[in-house]
Amino acid sequence: MSYLYGGKILRVNLSRREARFVPTDRYASKYIGGRGTNARILYESVDVDTDPLGLENVVCFGTGPLSGTTFPGCSRTDVMCKSPVTNLIGNASVGGDWSAELKYAGWDHVVLEGKAEHPVYVDIHNDAVQIRDARALWGLTTYEAHEAIRNELGPDVKIIGIGPAGERMVTFATIHSNIGNSASRTGVGAVMGSKNVKAIAVRGTQGVGIADPKAFLEASLRAHNTIRASKYYEEFHTIGLTLYEKACILSGLEGGGDGHANVPPSFDERFDYYSMFEKHCYKRTGCTGCPVHCMEAYHVGGLGSTVMSCELYPQLSYEIRNADPYFHYWLVMTCQKMGIDSVSTATIFQWLMELWELGIIDSTITGGINLEWGNKDGVKELFLRIIGSDGIGAVVAKGMKETADYIDARVPLDRRYDKSSYWWAMQVNNNPMYGVNPRMHGMALAYAVGRRSDCIQDLDMVEVDIANFPVYPEMSEDEKKRLTDEEKALAERVSGKIGAGDLDGYQGKAEMTHDQGITTGLPDMMGTCKWHTKWLFMDIEPENYAEALSAGTGREVGVQELITASLRLRNVERVLECKMGRRRENDTIPEKEFGRPVARGFWKGKIGTDRKEFERMKDEYYALRGWDAKTGIPTVETLLQYGLDDMVEDLPGRGGFGERRPVSEGDDAKLPDLDGKKERDGGSRETKTATR
Amino acid sequence: MYSVINVDIEKCTGCRTCELACSLHNYGECNPSRSRIFVVRDQDEGLITTVPVVCQQCEKPLCLNMCPAQAISRDPETHAVVIDEDKCLGCRTCVYVCPFGAPSVDPRLGVAQKCDLCGGSPSCVAICPKKALSYVGAEEESLRRKRTRVERYLSVIGTRG
Repeated sequence: MSYLYGGKILRVNLSRREARFVPTDRYASKYIGGRGTNARILYESVDVDTDPLGLENVVCFGTGPLSGTTFPGCSRTDVMCKSPVTNLIGNASVGGDWSAELKYAGWDHVVLEGKAEHPVYVDIHNDAVQIRDARALWGLTTYEAHEAIRNELGPDVKIIGIGPAGERMVTFATIHSNIGNSASRTGVGAVMGSKNVKAIAVRGTQGVGIADPKAFLEASLRAHNTIRASKYYEEFHTIGLTLYEKACILSGLEGGGDGHANVPPSFDERFDYYSMFEKHCYKRTGCTGCPVHCMEAYHVGGLGSTVMSCELYPQLSYEIRNADPYFHYWLVMTCQKMGIDSVSTATIFQWLMELWELGIIDSTITGGINLEWGNKDGVKELFLRIIGSDGIGAVVAKGMKETADYIDARVPLDRRYDKSSYWWAMQVNNNPMYGVNPRMHGMALAYAVGRRSDCIQDLDMVEVDIANFPVYPEMSEDEKKRLTDEEKALAERVSGKIGAGDLDGYQGKAEMTHDQGITTGLPDMMGTCKWHTKWLFMDIEPENYAEALSAGTGREVGVQELITASLRLRNVERVLECKMGRRRENDTIPEKEFGRPVARGFWKGKIGTDRKEFERMKDEYYALRGWDAKTGIPTVETLLQYGLDDMVEDLPGRGGFGERRPVSEGDDAKLPDLDGKKERDGGSRETKTATR
Repeated sequence: MYSVINVDIEKCTGCRTCELACSLHNYGECNPSRSRIFVVRDQDEGLITTVPVVCQQCEKPLCLNMCPAQAISRDPETHAVVIDEDKCLGCRTCVYVCPFGAPSVDPRLGVAQKCDLCGGSPSCVAICPKKALSYVGAEEESLRRKRTRVERYLSVIGTRG
C-alpha cells in the first residue's frame, strides 16, 4: 500500500523500550484509518479489566488516508484509549500539523503501550524511532516543552504532548499540539501521563503518494471551493464563531442556559468577548490544509498569547458567571499551557458552585476556598490546586464521581436534600458535559448514545440552527425566518419525518442523530476535520471523500462503501463499550434533566426532556443502528452485516462478555453511574482477553 | 506586463495548503519538504507568526547571475526565473545568494528547484484560502501596497475606520 497511506503502524512498547511496526493494510481496507483503525486496534488491545491508568492500556494516535494531502482540513489526529473518566472508550481529536507530519514520516498510526521507567519522549524522524529522556521536560508547560524539544531536534519538528496536568494524571487532562490544538475530552492526557510520555515529536520528509495527482488536485480544489461557498464560510473565516456562540447563549443552548437554570438573564449583557476579539485578536490561524481558520490568535500584553475558538468562549465565562474577559482569557490560556480540558473544568466548577449556592458544600469541604458564583479568587485557587493535585484539588482532579463521593462522605444526607451531590452533576457516564445543554431533544439523545458520553459527535446542528437563527445578532428578520424555514425543511428531508425540525418535539430526532453519526464518522476516519461537513453547516459530503480516495488510491471508491465503513466503525466501538459494561441504562442524561421546567432562553417555562419520549427516541435509534432494544448491544445480525464476524464471539450468549457485570471488580466508585444509585449485579467475571 | 506571486504576510494563517498544492503539482505527491513555497512558522511563547517564502522573480536575479553552470535563465513568456535541470550542478550557489533563501536543492533529484510560476497559473495561488497569495502584476501590487499603508495610517490618525 503506497498511495495515500504511510503503510505502517508504529507500536512503541515503553516498558521494554521497543518499537515494532504492523502493516496498515491489515486494517485499512475495512476501517479506512483514523478513528476507524484506532477503534479496531483498541478493541484488540484492551479488555474489560484494563485499568485506564495502568500498564495494559494503550494510547492510539491515528491519521487517515487524506491526512497530509491537499484535501481541506487534512491534519486531524484521532486519539483513542480506555478513558479514566468514563472507564469506557476515551476518544478525542486534535488538529494542528502533527497528523500531516506523521504521514510524511511514513507512519499512519502510533500506539503507545506499557509504561516508561522515567519520563521520556518519543522521537520519530522518518523511519528512525528513538525514546529520549524527558526528565528535564517534566513539569514544563506545553508551550515550554514544545519549545525545548524544538531547540533539541530542530525547528521543523512537529510535537504533540502533555502538560503538568497530564503528568499528574488529572483525569480530564489533554494532549496538546502547537498553540491551542488540543485532544481534550475523556482524559487522554492522563493516560499519556500514566505512561510517563511527555510528548511525541515527528519529522517527516517522505510525502504522501498520490495515484492520479491531477485528478486529486482537482478533487481537492472542488472540495476547497465547496467549503468556500458554504453559507457560514465568510463569517467563520473572518470573525470565527464569536457571534455564533453569542447566539447559542442567547437562545439558552449554551453557557448560562441550563443545568443551572438560575443564571440571571441580566448576565447575558455583562460578558462581552466580542470587544475582546476586536481589541486583542491579531491574526486568524488554523491547522495544516484548512481553508476555514477557525481559531483566533490573541495577544494580551502582560497576560500572554494563545488562541481561542468556538466552545472556549462561553465555557469558563458564562458557566461560572465570570464577567471579566481577562480572567476568562487567563483561564483558557492556562488550560492550554497546563494541558487540561477547559470544558470539563468549566462544567465541574459550575457544579461545585451550584452546590455552594445550595449550601451543600462550604469552606470546610473546599479547603477554605470560596466558590460563590463568579468569585475569581476562589476559581483561580481551586483551578491551580487541581492542576497541582493539591489538597481538595487532588480530589476534584479525579473527576465528578470521586468528588461527589468525597462530599457525600462529609456532608449529612439532610443537607444534601436527601440526594447524592452527584445528582446535580452535569455528566454522562461521569464525563462532564459540554456547555451545550441537553435542552433540545435531539441533543439529549446525542449525549446519551454518543460514543464518548458526549453530544458533540452525533449532535445534529440543524436543531442548533433552528434555535439560533431567531436570536442571531447580525441578521435581519427576513433572513432569520428564511434560514429557519430552510433548516426545518432540511430536518424533515434528512429524517423523513414531519415535524423533525420542531424544537419541542421528539419526532425524527433519532434519524437525525443517526445521520449525523454517519457524517462525522467519515472525516474522523479520513483524518480530516468534521467542521467541513454539514456537522457545522459546510458542504463536504461523502461524495467528496469518495472522489478524493478514488483519485488518490487509484481504486474506485464508492459512497456506499464509505457510509458502510462509518456504520461499521460505530459498531466496533459499541461492542467494545458494551464489553466494558455499557448498556442501555447508561445511555442517558442526568436525572435532574427529566421533566424539569426550564428557566430561561427559548425554552423558558417549558418542561425539559420527557422520560417516556426520551426512551422512545432511544428505541428508534437502536433500531436504526441494529442494536438490541433491551440491552443496547449490537445484534449478531448487525455484526455479520458489517463483516465483523470475528466479534460475534464476544457477544452475550456466544461465550462472550455475558451478563452485565462491574467494569472493575470491587471498585464501585469507578463505575459509570448516572444518578447516585448503586444497583449493580455482580455477574460472573471472565478473564478472556480481546487480543487475538 | 508580467505577474509575480505576491505574499500578504498579515493574511497568512499558516495553513500550508500552498506547500501541498505546489508539491502535488510539481512532483505528484503531497510533501512540504519538496515544495517550492515554504511557510516559515514561529511561535514564540504562543505568539504565532507565519511567513510564506517564495521566489519573487527578481529584476536582477543574483541566482541567475551567479550560477556557475549558467543553468538559470528568464522564461520569456512568464518572466519567471527558471532552472535548466540538465545543466544544474546542485552546487547551492543560488540557495546561498537568494535574498529570501527561496531555491532549494531537491534531495531526490539532486538539482536546484525553485518556483517557475507553474507556467503562468500557480497552483498555490489557486488554492490559498485566505488569498494571502496573489498572482498579479508587479506594478499593480506595489500600488496596492501603497494604498493599504495609507489606509492604515488614516485609521490610526482617526480620520477613517
